[in-house]
Amino acid sequence: MIQFSDMRFIFRILPILLIAYYLLPAKARPWILLLGSLAFYAVDEPYYFLLLVGATLVNYLLGRGSFHKKTALFVVSVLLDVGLLAGFKIMDMWNQNFLLPLGLSFYVFKMISYQSDLYHGRIRRATFRDTAVYFTMFPQILSGPITRFSYIEGNDFWRGKHYGKSKKNYLLDIFYQLDDGVRYFVLGLALKVILADHLAILWKEIGTIGYESISTPLAWLGVVAYSLTLYFDFWGYSLMAAGLGVMLGFPFVRNFDQPYSAASVSDFYRRWHMTLGQWFRDYVYIPMGGSRKGSLRTLLNLIVVWLLTGLWHGAGGTFLLWAGALCLIIIWEKFVLKKAGKLGKVLGHVHVLILIPLSWIIFALPTMQDIGIYFSRLFPFFGQGVAVNASDILTNLKAFWGYLVAGFVMLIPGWKRIYQKYKNHDVMTMILFVVFWLCVYSLANAMGNPFYYLRF
Amino acid sequence: MRKKDTSSLLVAIVLSSIFLTIMSAVCIPSKYQDYQFDIVSMPIMTPLFQGMADGVFPWSENKRTQQAKQDYELPEEITEPLVETAEQETAEIEEQIPVKTFTTVTDDYFDDALFIGDSRMAGLSQYCQAIDERATFYAKKSLTIFDIQKKAWIETEDGSKITVEQALSEKQYGKIYLMVGINELGVGNTEYFRAAYADVVNRIHLLQPNAIIYINSIMHVAKEKNDTDTLYNNTNINARNEAIATLADDQQVFYLNMNECVDDEEGNLDSTLTFDQVHLKGSAYEPWHEYLLSHAIM
Repeated sequence: MIQFSDMRFIFRILPILLIAYYLLPAKARPWILLLGSLAFYAVDEPYYFLLLVGATLVNYLLGRGSFHKKTALFVVSVLLDVGLLAGFKIMDMWNQNFLLPLGLSFYVFKMISYQSDLYHGRIRRATFRDTAVYFTMFPQILSGPITRFSYIEGNDFWRGKHYGKSKKNYLLDIFYQLDDGVRYFVLGLALKVILADHLAILWKEIGTIGYESISTPLAWLGVVAYSLTLYFDFWGYSLMAAGLGVMLGFPFVRNFDQPYSAASVSDFYRRWHMTLGQWFRDYVYIPMGGSRKGSLRTLLNLIVVWLLTGLWHGAGGTFLLWAGALCLIIIWEKFVLKKAGKLGKVLGHVHVLILIPLSWIIFALPTMQDIGIYFSRLFPFFGQGVAVNASDILTNLKAFWGYLVAGFVMLIPGWKRIYQKYKNHDVMTMILFVVFWLCVYSLANAMGNPFYYLRF
Repeated sequence: MRKKDTSSLLVAIVLSSIFLTIMSAVCIPSKYQDYQFDIVSMPIMTPLFQGMADGVFPWSENKRTQQAKQDYELPEEITEPLVETAEQETAEIEEQIPVKTFTTVTDDYFDDALFIGDSRMAGLSQYCQAIDERATFYAKKSLTIFDIQKKAWIETEDGSKITVEQALSEKQYGKIYLMVGINELGVGNTEYFRAAYADVVNRIHLLQPNAIIYINSIMHVAKEKNDTDTLYNNTNINARNEAIATLADDQQVFYLNMNECVDDEEGNLDSTLTFDQVHLKGSAYEPWHEYLLSHAIM
């Protein structure tokens, strides 16, 4: 799979696409993006590529019915989309060797959102071209963010009109938009390559030792390492995706908003992978009545949303346990802690800083047995370890302290404000420039040696 | 709207990319000729950054490495290496010298032992307390047979780093155990690996003339990795093990096929003993420990 942090993408695919995109007339830009996105997908998924094309055509045709408020067609389209996703997920559950189509969830979620927005009159006009670009656009197809159709409508550079500006100013607008996009992309690249990829090694080291043999301090360091890895990996990806969108003239999409400074677990999930949370809120939770139909209904709706969230992440029991645990915490927060005043607020932060990282361990480990062993090392009064080396924490801290400190620093909420304030300052440009080449250094060495990150 | 005179990251990256690509392209035929480079799958600047990691810059005089390693030659002072001598004279001496055989010992056998190796040996240090509390370990992740003598990689108590030569000159050991070979599977061919290994064994023997030298086989990888990895697989490991096994003279240098104690029926590392298919889990070092106890020379 060609990822955004792949040097071939950074130095070949992206520049070629951008040159074609901006050198050709404005009216050709959506088509260039469509063709580029289809090619990007087809390289990795030559077979499922046809599924994406078919689903796009069917959704466009059925969408015309949804647009004219034909309920039957709207229901059919949603059932087809849900069936497509559910069918593949079930096959994945039954056959461990089965590979899901790349980005299936993300384009299906967009398709459901598209049908619903058409049916409810939230989209004024959806041409085939715009619809196809919306479903397939390469910056979002692998892992989101799950934007709405209005995102497509926000691209001024497709219209070819200068809005009364001189051609020079119009070109400068494009140039600055590109430059802004590059900045977001480099930030995301750094989070992914420098932080997430290196912290992931620490988490793998813990697996190599074997969960039954890690000391309790190392088990807790593992909780920190995995939580930070997941955060920077996904935040980095989301920033790169958003940056690519900005380079192409779209608005910036926020998918993370300092989740670890959240005041509760429900708040955390409003700030973590925001576009997914918003999707579940707008297309599942609220249509079911949200929290407006009494406590019992709210409870039921929360359970349904988290059950779906668990199933969506994976069909195994561990994902249901993960989602169930989070659902319980949210119910506890919503119905008990909310009434506990200051204590409730403090406990809310404790949940975010301790229970969320612990929940990631349930998310990460493949079997219930592994989860049991890991938690018995976290809380050693539940059982003894086997051949535990009490100094393992020191060995790993010595090797990874720099990445851990950098990870903690990047958790500080003030960074976003500082970046926004100084993002076009020369010093910031210089920092991003150095960071970019540090990332390339790391990527180039990983490329030449597949075990660069995992030497024996 | 941004001020028009602000600096552009885009321009800086584009210009520097062009510059670095040209630099790399110019140096690929000379300084970076030993780096694997595939123009289809790698941007042209890749060898430049890989060179930097090895301290090879466009302005450096010395070129690395793999070619140089291919032309590995034994140092002049070891013109008659122990292992070669042993091989040549085996027929002559085997009737005169009694064959030494393995016996079973207790943990105090390791009191004067030194263990040198890569991450697998580091694992033995970390998860086999019985040996670790008695023996000395010079073990480092990613260590290769080529690095053992070249680099100052042994950390002393004051935090400074010394070479093996320095370390072995300071103290005499009764037994020296080696385990390296997985990291360098992709470097050079089997003969070349064997030559480098022979050089290390000979050098150790010169510095520690009374020590018994144990060459541990390169430990296998588990089946899944063996079946999917074109480099780190047991076919390649076995080829190198067969080569280093011939370094044993069964008088002072012994080969320990430790895979006997960790393999499954198919000759792969037992998957229940490993998480990452390459290393033993912390709880799985006991078979190796027992194997070493039962394969000792008195």
